[in-house]
Amino acid sequence: MRRARPRHDAQRLEGARLSEGGGVAAALTLGLVLLLVACGGGGDNAVAGGADDLPGAVPAGVRYAKPAAATLRAPPFSAELLDGTPITASKLWSDRPLVLVFTASWCRRCAELHRDVAAALDEHGDAIGLLGVVPEDDAQAARDYADELDLGYPIAVAPERVWLDYAAREPPVVVLISRGGKVLRGWPGGVAREELARRLDELVERS
Amino acid sequence: MRSGLAAALAALLVAAAGCSLSGEEAETSIRLVVPDKNVRAEGVECAGARPFEHVHPGAPFTIEAGDGTVVADGELPVGHAENAEPEIDWGVDRIPTFCVLDFEVALPERPRYRLLLEGSRPLEFAVGKEPVVLVVG
Repeated sequence: MRRARPRHDAQRLEGARLSEGGGVAAALTLGLVLLLVACGGGGDNAVAGGADDLPGAVPAGVRYAKPAAATLRAPPFSAELLDGTPITASKLWSDRPLVLVFTASWCRRCAELHRDVAAALDEHGDAIGLLGVVPEDDAQAARDYADELDLGYPIAVAPERVWLDYAAREPPVVVLISRGGKVLRGWPGGVAREELARRLDELVERS
Repeated sequence: MRSGLAAALAALLVAAAGCSLSGEEAETSIRLVVPDKNVRAEGVECAGARPFEHVHPGAPFTIEAGDGTVVADGELPVGHAENAEPEIDWGVDRIPTFCVLDFEVALPERPRYRLLLEGSRPLEFAVGKEPVVLVVG
């Protein structure tokens, strides 16, 4: 499910300070808090762009328009999300259409594109999947980038072959893949929110 | 007497060195051209398209003098798309372009320089007519 990102536990603890008079009590309290955090009771440690940003089940009553028979198959690939979770693209497009966004932390035009793509998809909730793709040498910077932009969708670190297979020569590139894995459209240089929204509206049928 | 002579010689050497290799730095304009011929709208922000993906904003660069001394370093700025074939009227917005990164760097006076960028061969240049145009290869 896409959602607002919680603050990290380390940030939550930033305000904890030992007072001069209540040092022992404060130390015990802090110890208890740290114990709770260590035991998983301290909240959400999710990495932006990781497994927690994968979509939930396809909403009930959603159907998808079938692509033309001659449409090319999307090149399959496997990769890891920013939190190390392995993913397989064919699984992501097996039950719903998928939008791939080839991006990079240093791509200034991509920041605006991310917001546009997310806005276009918001109307459809989990009926459409969304996966960001960053180059392998950008993984660390991409973690900061995803956190900073609060993208709210999974980001995969993909090897060079994936970029070549999708003819993604320079970010941003957006690719729309049908349910079942056919390439419906690619937009080198990005896509306007209205254009993507129109394409998605054509694709999703609700009963 | 001897120490006075040595000091005079040293001063002479320093002065002579100053004539040919000034310690002062001068701002030098560099145009780094990525000949990727990627299809873009003219003027949009860009980075090098594959196989020049290592040329992007924030990528570190170093400039060495001919003797290998590092004289400057920094990070590349964002590039802008320029028409790769201005003699052709494509009749559309998105056309084959080069990505051109313009930046200034302070360089001490040296006869030759070498711009080093990870993933590229070294780019040799001398400062004369500005901007210095370097084509990534």
